[in-house]
Parts: sequence; structure tokens; C-alpha cells
Amino acid sequence: MNAKKTLATTTKIILWLLVIVFFWWALSNHMFSKIVEQPAQFISLLETHLKLVSISAGIAILTSIPLGILITRPKFRKFEWLIVNTANLGQTIPSLAILALAMGFLGIGIKAAIVALYIYSLLPILQNTIAGLDSVNPATKDAAKGMGLTSTQILFRVELPSAAYSILAGVRTAVVLNIGTAALAYLIGGGGLGVWIFTGIQLFDNSFLISGAVPVTLLAVIVDLLFRGLQLLLVPKGLRLARKAAIDSV
Amino acid sequence: MFTISQLFNYIQSDLGNIITYTIEHAQLVGLAILIAIIIGVPLGIYLTTNEELAETILQIASIFITIPSIALFGIMIPILSNIGQGIGFLPALIALVLYSQLPIIRNTYTAINNVDPNIRDAAKGIGMTNFQRLIKVEIPIGMPLIMAGVRTATVLNIGIGAIAAFIGSGGLGVLINSGISRGNTNMVMTGAIFVSILALIADFLLKWIQKKATPKGIQ
Amino acid sequence: MIEFQNVSKVYQGDVKAIDDINMTVNDGEFVILLGPSGCGKTTLLRMVNVLESITEGDIRVQGKSSKELNPIELRRNIGYVIQSNGLFPNMTIEDNTMIVPDLLGWDRKKKRNRFNYLMDLVGLNPDDYRKRFPHELSGGQQQRIGVIRAMASDPPVMLMDEPFGALDPIIRHRIQDEFLAIQQEVKKTILFVSHDIDEAIRMGDRIALIREGKIMQYDTPTEILTHPKNEFVSEFVGQDRVLKSMSLYSVQDLVDAFNLESSKQEVADTKMIHSDTSLRVAISMLLNQEADQIVIVDQQDNQLGSLTLNLIEKFLHREVKGKER
Ligand SMILES: Nc1ncnc2c1ncn2[C@@H]1O[C@H](COP(=O)(O)OP(=O)(O)O)[C@@H](O)[C@H]1O
Ligand SMILES: [Mg+2]
Repeated sequence: MNAKKTLATTTKIILWLLVIVFFWWALSNHMFSKIVEQPAQFISLLETHLKLVSISAGIAILTSIPLGILITRPKFRKFEWLIVNTANLGQTIPSLAILALAMGFLGIGIKAAIVALYIYSLLPILQNTIAGLDSVNPATKDAAKGMGLTSTQILFRVELPSAAYSILAGVRTAVVLNIGTAALAYLIGGGGLGVWIFTGIQLFDNSFLISGAVPVTLLAVIVDLLFRGLQLLLVPKGLRLARKAAIDSV
Repeated sequence: MFTISQLFNYIQSDLGNIITYTIEHAQLVGLAILIAIIIGVPLGIYLTTNEELAETILQIASIFITIPSIALFGIMIPILSNIGQGIGFLPALIALVLYSQLPIIRNTYTAINNVDPNIRDAAKGIGMTNFQRLIKVEIPIGMPLIMAGVRTATVLNIGIGAIAAFIGSGGLGVLINSGISRGNTNMVMTGAIFVSILALIADFLLKWIQKKATPKGIQ
Repeated sequence: MIEFQNVSKVYQGDVKAIDDINMTVNDGEFVILLGPSGCGKTTLLRMVNVLESITEGDIRVQGKSSKELNPIELRRNIGYVIQSNGLFPNMTIEDNTMIVPDLLGWDRKKKRNRFNYLMDLVGLNPDDYRKRFPHELSGGQQQRIGVIRAMASDPPVMLMDEPFGALDPIIRHRIQDEFLAIQQEVKKTILFVSHDIDEAIRMGDRIALIREGKIMQYDTPTEILTHPKNEFVSEFVGQDRVLKSMSLYSVQDLVDAFNLESSKQEVADTKMIHSDTSLRVAISMLLNQEADQIVIVDQQDNQLGSLTLNLIEKFLHREVKGKER
């Protein structure tokens, strides 16, 4: 029993040590020098990166959640399988391919990059919105209807709160993938922190590589953690209990 | 910009290379998945006996998988160049194996953990050893979920494999890379289309295998 | 009052679920829709609050046809309870219970008072449960909340679809008793679906026994037990219908029926039985104690006569088997 715990703790410690050693090594070899030497350039690349992500993911959220709601209404239910299958299929297409295809159709530039990132973010959110709304217990909806709630009231008071966990998980996945894919936007002229990474690869220059790659990594990891926190914060307590009860009963 | 007929002309004229790149791509991904299974499945099974470690490993793996692949390459190049392997096949292979770990370990762990305790008791009751139970009962029942993890990892790897071309691993990403640097849109599009088709075929094929691997009784 | 006038329901694909039903549920009456699975009970119930459309005929609730009213408004005046409680997992117990009052725009204080009152009614401490969530409650507690949620805005009419069906027998029995006591106080007009004859006998003022969308018999439990109209009814009620019916009669009914008078004889060592005891209990007393007779007494311990197996048999012949319509 105790040996098992020790193993887990040791693993954690080794991992943290590796991270610390890496940063110590990178710092002592001046691999973050680009950030120190060209802070204005760094800020501008970071700004472009965040712009790419927030515009494309923002529009993706604003379109895919309403679309997911619409497609799960009785009137449009018959198209649900089509949308779900398209979303599944679409998600097997690699991010680089989507960027390349966007370039083929729209040419080089930030617009093509935003369109590609938008399409890439759309699918996980749409898929999770539909899955979340579909997982609401039909008996719960029936009871709500029977008590005289309008369909809008059922949507906002019951269905969306119940689907919140799943929808937020979709948004988290989409945004985190988006941050990574935006690092490829450089390839089609979109800018962002990818500029330094690719420059580093082409010049075989460690300081460009690390100055670009580490911030992108931290951005992705931190945003992921922030969204996980948000999930805990925004998802009604009763639902977390419900999820836990469902898992425990398995 | 491009036209469909130009695209077809390009594909026809460069078919030999395209096929070579496709095979390269499949080899890289195939090898990575094989290694990932050899590491991930036993690890996933072991973790079912050590809950503390399972939580730690799954946590680490789920943070790791959020690291963008191009950023991981950016971090790996300086590290691996210490042993003279900064770019090329090896860093790509390592990255692909690492990214496969979360889906494979998590699905194996869940698959084995979710086996109905009654079934497990029954297996114990008729005198199976732990190992027999694992081979004859738990793995067959967990097979569909394990295969689903392998499928997720494969599709993921085909995409990351395309990006790995920028660090010299070969494969279909080369078409996209060279196409961009030469301003040849047809080449870029061809790379994008073939890598997408490869991912779709792999997904389809593995879904089919997943279905075949499901024991008749629990389909 | 709920009036069904020549009501029929045909589902898509030509399934005739309800076939020309006519019945009336009076104000304050507790009516059970009873019948085997698939006979159309749920369908009939759900047509009352227009969760299912009415194919033919009309249903009037409190004198108004459901066709005249907007379904939302209609439903807010009808309580609705289902078997799997349908509580909203994302809302606290208080928010769940007060959802309809909230939609009706009640102020906080009024809602709080109502919540406290209803929780007291089902024996749950309002302050202990106010901020809890459905998943923190037991099945029986959840079902109680489901019931009081339906009563929240004090609707005159309640529809209940096997509300206690998922509970284990002991809890079910307790909730049934509780609910009967509540009904004594609130006197709602209730339509209650059940497939359990014992539940129907215990709870209902009247029972509508349904088979394949048609009413086989619509009568008081006593009449259904003692005078089944046809083979289906007597079979559904069961071979032990005479025994079942004995729980409907008290010793007092027997006293009244035979105009028993006290023999006033002082017999030492005899057992005594209160006149409000059910005949079912009486007969088991006679059999268990191997006494030939038991003295019947009223609340004040006045002797009313003596009870024998023979007398009970005579009574049953008269009341249950013999009486012709
Ligand atoms: N939505 C529906 N569509 C088609 N047929 C239905 C539907 N709901 C119920 N039915 C059919 O109507 C009949 C009565 O069903 P129901 O009212 O649910 O019965 P009960 O509640 O008595 O078990 C059954 O034959 C059932 O299969
Ligand atoms: Mg029913």
C-alpha cells in the first residue's frame, strides 16, 4: 500500500525535477535570449497569436453552440445524424491539412489562417454541445414540459445548465487545439509565435526554438487548466453530484 | 490558387513520389503506434493495481497532450541535438509515441477497470489465476475500448506526423512543406488531401477492426 | 373536475391506444387508472395536460376544454408527477420545488413559506434540505419532492403516473399512507396511474380498470372487488378478491349488517376486538387464537356482540358474493 504511494510521489517528483532541470539548462544556455533581447517583437507575436486564437475560437463558440441547440430541437432532429457524422469525420482531418486547404482556397494571410482555425474549432464544440444536450434525461424534460415550462424555459433552465459540463469541455478542447494550430499559422502567412519556432527550425537556432516553443506550450497548458477551473466553477454543483453518482454506480 | 484540373495533373505527374511519401508516413505512424501499444497497454493494465500512480500518470499524460506538437518539436530539437538527433526520424518517432500514451493508457486502464466485478468474481471463483483472468476475461472484454484508444492515437499521429515533416521525418508533410516554400499550391493541396485521406482510411479501418475485436456476446 | 368525452387516441402507425373513453373525475376525488402494461393509462393521463394530442373527443378540466386553453397555461394549473421523479439535477431542492411559483412570479417570501409548508407536509425538515441537490437524497425522498413540486402552486388537479412505482415495498407503503393523509387535508382532484391492484384498492376513491384502451369498469374499490363486471375484471382483481375485499370492511360493517346486539353475557377469558378493525385482521385473530368467538367492543369498551367465523362467512356471502345488482 505504502510502496504504491511512494511510487506515485516519486514519479511526480522526477517529473518536476525534469521540468526544473530543463528550465535551468535552457536559461543557463541563454535559450530564452530572443524574449529578453526583442521584447517588443515577442509581444507583437504573442498578440497576433492571441488574436488568431480569440477571433477564430470566439466565432466558433458563437456559431457552434447555437447550431448545436438548433439541431437538437425536435424540428431539426432528423438532420442530427448528418451533423454528428460530419463533425466526427471532420475531426479526423489533421490540423495542418486544414490550414493547407484554407491556403489553397483563400491564399496566404491572416484571413485564411483565421478561417482554418475557425473551422478546426467548430467541430469539437458542436459535437460536445449536441452530446451534452442529448444526454439530458428525457424524463426530466418531460416533467418540465408537464409542469408548464415553455420550450425556451426548458432550454435555459434545464437543458443548457445540464449540458454545461460537456459544452465547456468542448470549448476547452477547441481552444487548446486552436492555440497549437495557430502556431502553424506562420506557414500560411498568419504570424504568431510559430514564426520563431519555424525560424529556429530553419536556422537550427535553439534560442529561436525555445523562445517560441516554451511560451506556446505554457499558453496551451495554462489555458487548459483555466478552463478546467472554469468547468468546476460554472457547472452547477448538483450536476457534478449527478455525474459522480453516475460514475460511482458503474 | 488552384484549379481541379491542375491538381489532377500534378498528382498524375508526381504519383511515384506521392506514394513513397504516403508509405513513409504510414511507416512512421505504424512504428510509433506499435511501440506505444507495447508501452501503453501493459502500463494501463498495471495502473489498475495502483490507483495512486494511475491518477498521477493520467494527470501528467493529460497535461502533456495539451502541448502543441510543433512546440514540442521546438523543445525537443535543442535537447536531442545534444546526442546529435535534433531533427529527423527519431525525434518524430519519440514525439508520436509520447502523444499516443494518453489515449492508449487511459482507455486500457478504463477498459480493465470497468469489467463487471461479478464477472471478475466468477473468474476467481472457478480458480483462474490473475494472469489467466487478465488474458482470458479482462482483456477480451476490454478490447473494444482499448482498440478505440489505439484508433484515437493513430488518427492523432497521422496529423502530427505531417507536422513532423518540418523537422525532417519525411512523409506526406514534405509535400506541404516543399509546396509552401516553392509557392506550389497544387503540391500543398495534394499533401493536405492525401494526409486527410490517410487519416480517414485509418479511422475507418480501425473502427472496423474494433468491431471485429468485440467479442460476439457483448456486441 | 375532469371530464373525458368520447376520447380516442391513435398514434402514428395506427396504434389505437385509447378507444372512445367517457368518464368523469369529480372535484376532490382520487381516481386510479388501473390496468396491465401497455393498456393506455399513461396515454390517457398525458392527454389531460396535452403532452399527447387528442385524436378524437374532448377533455374538459375544471369545465374548460383543453382545446380552448394555451397548453402552457393549462399545465401550470395541473400538477404532474412521474415515476422517475424528473427532478432537475442542476437545481437545489428548493429551486426544484418552487419552479412553477417562480415562473408565476411569486415573491421570495411567499415561495419560502410555501416551500416550508410543503416540506412539513411530507415530513422533511425544510432547512435541512433547502440547499441540497436531488442526488443527495434517497429515492423515497426524491419522490416526495416530486410530489410536492407538483403541488407547489396549489393546482386543483393533479396527474400522477405510477409515482411510487420505483420504490421498494416498505417505503412505497409508507409514502402511500403519507400521501393519503395529505389528500385528506388538501382534497385535490387526482388522476393516478397504477398497475398494482393493491395500491389501487388502498388509495382510490374510484378505480377505472382499463384494457386495450377501453374502460372495463369504473367503480369504487368495493364494487370492483365484490361485483366485477366481467371476466377480465375478476381475473385482474385476482382469485383472492374475497380476501382483498375483507380489508375494505370493518367489524362495524358486520355489526350494522346483522343488527347485532350485545348478549351482555359476561364470559371470562374471551378476547376483545375493536369495531373499527378490518375484517381481514379479525379473521386472522380468530384463526390464530383458536377462539370460537371474540367480543366486539366500541371505542368506549361497550360490548356490541360476539364475532365468529360463521358470522363472517355469512356476511361475505351477503356482501361479496350474493348481492345482485
Ligand atoms: N409515442 C408513441 N408512439 C406510438 N405508440 C405509442 C406511443 N406511446 C405509447 N404507445 C403505444 O400505446 C399503447 C399504450 O401505451 P401507454 O399509454 O404507455 O400504456 P401504459 O401506460 O398503460 O403502460 C401501447 O401499445 C404503446 O406501445
Ligand atoms: Mg405507463
